[in-house]
Amino acid sequence: MKTQTYSLNMGPQHPSTHGVFRIVLELDGEVVVKATPVPGYLHRGIEKLAEARTYTQVIPYTDRMDYLASMLMNWGYVAAVEKLMGIEEEIPERAQYIRVITGELSRIASHMIATGDYAGNIGGLTGFTYTFRDRERIMDMFEMVCGSRMTVSYFRIGGVAADLPDEFFPACRQFISDLPSMCDEYDGLITGNEIFQARTKHVGIITPEDGINYGITGPSLRGSGIAYDLRKVRPYSVYDRFDFEVPLGERGDCFDRFSCRIKEMRQSARIIGQALDNLPDGPILAKVPKVIKPPAGDAYAEIESSKGVLGCYVVSDGSPKPYRVHFRRPSFINLGMLGKMCEGWKIADVIAILGSIDIVLGEVDC
Amino acid sequence: MGENLFTGIAAWLSALLNAAGVPLIANDIILMVVKFVAILVFILVNVLWLVYMERKVSAYIQCRIGPNRVGPKGLLQTVADIGKLLSKEIIIPRLSDKIVFLLAPVLIFVPPLMIMVVVPWGRDMAAVNMNIGVFYFLALASLSTLIFWMGGWSSYNKYSLVGAMRVVAQMVSYELPLVLALLGVIMLTGTLNMNTIIEAQRHTWFIFAQPLAFLIYFIAGVSETNRTPFDLVEGESEIIAGPYTEYSGMGYAMFMLAEYANVMLVSIMCTVMFLGGWLAPFGWTFIPSWFWFFIKVYVMIFIFMWIRWTYPRIRVDQLMGFGWKVLVPLSLANIFVTGVGMYIYRAIGW
Amino acid sequence: MFGQGLIKGLQVTWHEMFKKKVTVQYPEEHAPLAARYHGRFQLDADKCIACGMCANACPNKVIQITKEKVGKKQYLTKYVMRIEYCLFCGLCVESCPKDAIAFSHIINMNQFYRDKVRLVLVDRPAPESLPEGEAAEPDAGGAAAGKAARVQQAARAQAAAGKAADKEGE
Repeated sequence: MKTQTYSLNMGPQHPSTHGVFRIVLELDGEVVVKATPVPGYLHRGIEKLAEARTYTQVIPYTDRMDYLASMLMNWGYVAAVEKLMGIEEEIPERAQYIRVITGELSRIASHMIATGDYAGNIGGLTGFTYTFRDRERIMDMFEMVCGSRMTVSYFRIGGVAADLPDEFFPACRQFISDLPSMCDEYDGLITGNEIFQARTKHVGIITPEDGINYGITGPSLRGSGIAYDLRKVRPYSVYDRFDFEVPLGERGDCFDRFSCRIKEMRQSARIIGQALDNLPDGPILAKVPKVIKPPAGDAYAEIESSKGVLGCYVVSDGSPKPYRVHFRRPSFINLGMLGKMCEGWKIADVIAILGSIDIVLGEVDC
Repeated sequence: MGENLFTGIAAWLSALLNAAGVPLIANDIILMVVKFVAILVFILVNVLWLVYMERKVSAYIQCRIGPNRVGPKGLLQTVADIGKLLSKEIIIPRLSDKIVFLLAPVLIFVPPLMIMVVVPWGRDMAAVNMNIGVFYFLALASLSTLIFWMGGWSSYNKYSLVGAMRVVAQMVSYELPLVLALLGVIMLTGTLNMNTIIEAQRHTWFIFAQPLAFLIYFIAGVSETNRTPFDLVEGESEIIAGPYTEYSGMGYAMFMLAEYANVMLVSIMCTVMFLGGWLAPFGWTFIPSWFWFFIKVYVMIFIFMWIRWTYPRIRVDQLMGFGWKVLVPLSLANIFVTGVGMYIYRAIGW
Repeated sequence: MFGQGLIKGLQVTWHEMFKKKVTVQYPEEHAPLAARYHGRFQLDADKCIACGMCANACPNKVIQITKEKVGKKQYLTKYVMRIEYCLFCGLCVESCPKDAIAFSHIINMNQFYRDKVRLVLVDRPAPESLPEGEAAEPDAGGAAAGKAARVQQAARAQAAAGKAADKEGE
């Protein structure tokens, strides 16, 4: 019998493409023959906008990249500018610790969304509401710290915008002591479910070689069993002072990537606990001039974001505005392998694979 | 007092018509029409209630409150939604097959309503006491496959088409274990009459005599009604809404309401075949038989909803594999074991 | 395996069904707002010295300031925020040397028409001269504190007008 393939345009308006992502699928029945990702529907030109702003004014724009982990986005940019100015060493201890605390909280929030959203993608919407309910507590904490819930704009060049308020500490301690039981609940509802495992195990495998070749980072790479976490490999800020593990997967399939995130949440809680215990007193902002004018030159700084390695490249021409800013967005680079991963799987698996990479469209399209 | 409420009304109406000198045949017809209208109204009210109940159950499972603004405790929310959907434009895609496209949401309610006619709602409360009731149920239940396919095919949308293809594959392959599971019960009772089957459960409900058959029926029933974990037809995270993608306004609502009518139907059949229908457990006959029937039906519906809001969705090849490689052999084995058991049972001559 | 996970999942959802619900029924109940919450802006016109730092700090050029010279002072006549472009990042509040602009806890900023979205915090005519004591004070290079006090006095005279404008903006 003569059969033919047909193309299915998945997205940009689709319930589970994490926003406005588009994949053009070439299908043979339900089997994907070819998948072509088409990003760019959420492009706002943040890098170009940054060129018309002063160094400080760029910070609110970085929030809008990975809006689920905006603290970490702030950090990536701020770290690059600090490197450019050569004040990395002058950042006060307290500011470093606050950065770690809020950054890890942001990572937990992002992973919670990834977990819940993935459950939703697989079809169990209840997991979605549980993670969102728990993430709400992090959002409340961010509101105490900086007045905003998602687009925080909390980091400043040389430190942070404001000190942690008193009511933050009991809330944060309560949260990290509750986190293991929350993770147990997710494990009970989602991870342990046989249907969920049948859907995700052995699906969309990233082999360690492919992962490295395609430049995949973050939990997506660690799911393949490669222990590459900048917090351990090249510790920045004060991460070398904390005791934590880097959870790894074995097979590199969707399930491993998913379970890595839940395990990472537990480790992040450990880091926050240690940081809260050892939080030093002191100033929260280094002595930086009011008008930031880094010397002409360029700098590249990397941090471990919730999705992978966030790199920021800043070029200065000596004026108060950056000459060029470029972000290495982990979501975008992790997407590179999507087409290859989807081939040969079903339509439902495309959603499972896309969800397991955990992209945020604000970051992909920047 | 409650026991004979509805049969009493019917008898009273019949006597009234007789006294008025209505010929016997017209008397019967009028009585039948009254019964049908009563069932129709009852089903529609129940479906509206089920939509509300599903929202509340899902909300409570998800740590929310659910609808609570329209009417007391939000009870009129579904009515308000229907009012809104009725006022919406029905968008017909330009290249769709218009007649089929518009016919599908109209026809979708026909099979469930037709089946409800033979259901024994309580003692002597079947509108039509048909001696092939189970067969009638199975025959009509498989009709809805065709209507889903109509909707999916005529929409001129690839998502609809994929969903429609899934619906046919899924419903056809799960019809088989469903029927084979019921066969065990039919073997035990030797009848296709629902009332007789219920009467046969006076001492033991068939859920205890046929636990495996119950499980198979339950799983296949979830699949027949297209609910999670077998809701691939809608599969909203993959194929938007499957065959319903292009429907808007009341057309969409009809499909949704029919889903609840189907859920009710599967629960009713489960109650009749395995849970002793309107029989009162522990001899608690102070609650009327029809009320017992509803308690059992609603317990089943609650379990359906509970499962829906807990489990993720299975994949299409796993669904087919599970149906053909697990459920069908198991149901055949069940029939075999039942047959052998019956033979031994008779041989011993208890 | 073999259904343990399925039953465990049902247990989880069963327990959740009887837990306390997290919904806050909004119009009747309000979730508590943090002290630093970024709500609607409020400007203390008495404190404002019309320096324009906030307008410079804003990444989106949301703030438009009109000022007039009264005597030897800059006098704020109009303070408009094009709130439709505002990111609520708080850089303006941070940059204010006199703490004149601040966030309030008002969250209801929605408007039916786009042209009403614009937030007019101050709209007042400049006085002919600063009231009593101002003109008589010849020493323009006085202490900064003295200056601020004078500006405050001047502003207070116009407070009524400023407040009226404030209400229009709401």
